[in-house]
Amino acid sequence: MKKVQIASSSFQDNAKIRNALLENFSQPTTLLSGGLLFLVALCAIFAPLIAPTNPYNLAVVSIMDSRLAPGEEMFDGTVAWLGTDGAGRDILSAILFGLRTSLLVAVCSALIALIIGLLVGLIAAFFGGRTDTFLMRIVDIQLSFPAILVALVLLAVLGKGIDKVIIALVIVQWAIYARTVRATAIVERRKEYIEAATCLRLSNFRIIWKHLLPNSISPLIVLATLQTAHSISIEATLSFLGVGVPITEPSLGSLISNGFDYILSGAYWITLFPGIMLLATVAAINIFGDRLRVLLNPRLSK
Amino acid sequence: MLAFVIKRVIQSILVLFIMSLIVFSMINLVGDPVDMLVNPESLPEEIDRVRRDFGLDQPVHVQYWKFLTGAISGDLGNSFIFGRPALALIAERFPATLELATCALILAVSVGLPLGIYAGLNPDGWGARIIMGGSVLGISIPTFWLGLMMIIIFSVFLGWLPVSGRGDTANFLGIESSIFTLDGLRHLILPAINLSLFKISIVIRLTRAGVEEVMALDFIKFARARGLASQRIIRAHLLPNILIPIITVLAIEFGTLIAFATVTESVFAWPGVGKLVIDAIVNLDRPIVVAYLLFVVTLFLILNLIVDIIYAALDPRVRLQGDRQ
Repeated sequence: MKKVQIASSSFQDNAKIRNALLENFSQPTTLLSGGLLFLVALCAIFAPLIAPTNPYNLAVVSIMDSRLAPGEEMFDGTVAWLGTDGAGRDILSAILFGLRTSLLVAVCSALIALIIGLLVGLIAAFFGGRTDTFLMRIVDIQLSFPAILVALVLLAVLGKGIDKVIIALVIVQWAIYARTVRATAIVERRKEYIEAATCLRLSNFRIIWKHLLPNSISPLIVLATLQTAHSISIEATLSFLGVGVPITEPSLGSLISNGFDYILSGAYWITLFPGIMLLATVAAINIFGDRLRVLLNPRLSK
Repeated sequence: MLAFVIKRVIQSILVLFIMSLIVFSMINLVGDPVDMLVNPESLPEEIDRVRRDFGLDQPVHVQYWKFLTGAISGDLGNSFIFGRPALALIAERFPATLELATCALILAVSVGLPLGIYAGLNPDGWGARIIMGGSVLGISIPTFWLGLMMIIIFSVFLGWLPVSGRGDTANFLGIESSIFTLDGLRHLILPAINLSLFKISIVIRLTRAGVEEVMALDFIKFARARGLASQRIIRAHLLPNILIPIITVLAIEFGTLIAFATVTESVFAWPGVGKLVIDAIVNLDRPIVVAYLLFVVTLFLILNLIVDIIYAALDPRVRLQGDRQ
């Protein structure tokens, strides 16, 4: 009986999402941002295949090519469409490789934070009482400080490195997921199917895992999308401030930071192009996430 | 009310204490500041002398105890680099940050509020679409990159405005600020716009959401039915109702402005606390990092407390006992 109910409710959810997506796929904003997002993901995944040069192969990079303007020809005959940086690396290739690092950090941290937040939120909603008050108090305190500040401090302590940036971003983000999950789960918790499951003496673990979790997860889809954009931004900012990803494995942020040294000499392309890529990625995710929020929220759809 | 405030103050002090413990113990795990302080070619005796002078030869818990007893009497230690009290350095730099954050906040409200109201009142018009599109862009655009682009356009190519620094300041009514001199204003304008852009977008979105929600309510319909001019409906009925949540949010946002000033200050070499702490992180100047953190944590706890009190005072539905549900 309960199985049927759960199966049908999650089926309805899926159908609702699918219908909403299909119906709105004709909208230009959704199509454009979704398409851009897809393109960016493809670029990041296939960077080593499509990049004209390998910017981190020291045997290929030549100092002779340093600070070429966009469109000039490099020493070995390749055209640097977006120019080269101070060390003679092709900006276009550096952007494609940097995008890879940026997306890797953002997606990994968003996923790990989502899992931790999900667990905390479910536990708080299921057990209620003191556990709930205690966990949500931690969440409140954590969320009263801006993400950039917390991440900055953590990295000042942890040091540089991709793994450390991911750890910092997870710590910064888990609380927002926990709060969102708890809000949904606490409503689900009071519904009859949970009561039924408790009467059947199912273990707490089983109730949380099999019944509460599947029904509390849908608001997280939108949140995870928007948070990914947010963490790309934070990572870039941290790398720009010199506490994020080291220059040996550059992200878009460290590329821009690298170009900071050359802006006064007029070599604008070293900062301009990685920044446009960063902006396009973050904006595409934000717009797509925003559309998704409107589509999935029955209260907002007219 | 009093019981609520006392409870929150005690809680805040507890948070502050735990933060100091975490920060102090974590920051002692990384790097040896002595390496930064002495010439690597110094004799071992010389290195030992420096270590003793700064009290770095003692175990961490002894260092923490010394720090804690000092902190209670307002002494957060001397900066390793400047050799002066860390708290004095922060107090010296804070007015610059405060000035930047205040200007950004004023900009955010004076630009964001009218645009948000316009977009909320004409939700389907082209103007609203452009405003809302702009606000998505404003939220997505990385602050530091925008700052760099502003320097490239206005300082490097056009040469209109200075690249960095704070410029002249003047004293007016006891406030030392750069808004009272032309040179100071020229230095201030780019960083202030840079810092405010994200907040402008947030204010636009908040205001529009508030306007759309309130305009659908019965008392607005009633005001319309009474034949009031739309100007009057906006000023007397709409504004008071949307301002409360916006003001509450802005009080918290002011804290994040001060935190985000770190980024803008680094781009424009603005001599505020943000720049100070970034340099301190790079140079392993522990006392400054710890002092800055405790300073900011205190600032946030106070701001949050004020917001909670304002909120409770304005909205009787909010229960003060910290009781959820």
